[in-house]
Amino acid sequence: MDCISCKDHLSPFMDDDLEQTVAEQVREHLSACDDCALALEEIAAVLAACHESDPADASPPNADAMWLRISNVIDADIAEQERRRLAERTPPKRSWNFTFLQLASGFAAVVVISSLLTIVAIRNYLQPTGDDIYTRTKTEQTTIEKLLGRVGLIDSPEAARERQVREQQAAIDYWDQRVALRRSQWDKRTREAFDRNMQVIEQSLVQYRSNLKENPEDEISAEMLDAVMRDKMNLLRDFSDL
Amino acid sequence: MSYWRWSLTAVRQATKAAAVLAAVFLFIGVASVEAQKKFSRMYPGSNNVRIQLINRTGTVTVEGWNRSEISITAILEAPVANLEPQNQSGTIVINLVRDNQGRAEVGNVNFLIRVPVSAMVDIETKIGNLSVSNVSGGLVRARISSEGDITLTNIGSSAVSAENVIGDIFFDGVMQENGNYRFSSMRGNINLRIPFNSSFRLVATAPSTRNISMGPFGTGSLNYMGDGRRVVGKFGEGSATLSVTNQQGSITFLRR
Ligand SMILES: [Zn+2]
Repeated sequence: MDCISCKDHLSPFMDDDLEQTVAEQVREHLSACDDCALALEEIAAVLAACHESDPADASPPNADAMWLRISNVIDADIAEQERRRLAERTPPKRSWNFTFLQLASGFAAVVVISSLLTIVAIRNYLQPTGDDIYTRTKTEQTTIEKLLGRVGLIDSPEAARERQVREQQAAIDYWDQRVALRRSQWDKRTREAFDRNMQVIEQSLVQYRSNLKENPEDEISAEMLDAVMRDKMNLLRDFSDL
Repeated sequence: MSYWRWSLTAVRQATKAAAVLAAVFLFIGVASVEAQKKFSRMYPGSNNVRIQLINRTGTVTVEGWNRSEISITAILEAPVANLEPQNQSGTIVINLVRDNQGRAEVGNVNFLIRVPVSAMVDIETKIGNLSVSNVSGGLVRARISSEGDITLTNIGSSAVSAENVIGDIFFDGVMQENGNYRFSSMRGNINLRIPFNSSFRLVATAPSTRNISMGPFGTGSLNYMGDGRRVVGKFGEGSATLSVTNQQGSITFLRR
């Protein structure tokens, strides 16, 4: 699937209106394409923001109120970006271009939102770099992170930690499924190498989890658990395209 | 009746032809299964050329040389992989994963790549050894998804990262001012050979073995943390950053 086709499908994808096979193609493209995933993340962020700000407004009769809030969030964000752009003379960011109908229909579909957040989570662990959204400073946060932060999805360090673990697990589950699909096609050598390396990773995971059970304050084990979870995801991801 | 006879003859002839063809294809098939293939190509380069390689299995050796061209030679073991390097405005891109997507069996591809000393080197493989020597460009990145050794010799680059799961990592080089150096393994030995007068801030973590041997650098201002699982230290002005993590192996510093 190419970018044009992917972007065409984003709207029905949001509405959970796509055939399973097409939806899978979209998901696959999103996991590999920065550009399309970014577009989706932005939509997902606004949807999540609106949903979280007042779940009572989820019903259609309050659509006007909801739209007002969406506008406020977007306006504030655009205004802030504009200010920053003028100050730093950086190129303008992508604009928000989706319709109210898309928002309204997507708004009700909490399930879709959570699956989008899973994709966001997967993407957070796509790059094998050390830094992540929990160690970056406020100014380095992306739009989605700020939006999520504003509605309390990223708040206390404890909540952030729990969320991070959930996201990592979601990402691992995603790549795990893809590996399961590919695995039967691998030759013996590839299968053995994969299993051997996964076993080493699992050993460390068991070790750090048990350390943390004994001493939840053990910062090094917490940090290493996070690193090894990332290693596990990278191994799965790297073998999912073989 | 005569139609049938003609038809039967035709079928018989076609069958014979098919059998001959099948035999020919089988022969070609067997020949290509047994044969290795050699790939060899030169690319014009510049001082800030970049090589980006994603291999599946096999060994990759990158060497700096005193020429501005990039030379790529590869031995392709059977079943022979598709190999289509691309020159994307100054970056030579080789992606064997993409070029062989969906193929169940692909043989090892063993690369010998020669690059200008100032080149940026970004190599990756699923399984197999990676080695880079004699380069001092902006970047050396070597990543093995699973198992294999990483050997980086005579490196002067300002950003270096090496990462594997099972296997050794060896770095021998000069640390640049404000440079960034990251080494990470799950199981294997990490050995770092750097000049005694190197200036860097260090975070070295070996949680399982607690085997962090600072060697000649043991006299610096070191801080042992978490019952010896981690060493944090500063050497000289400390302008470069060095991060070393070995989940189940050791970390050793050597004097260059
Ligand atoms: Zn795309």
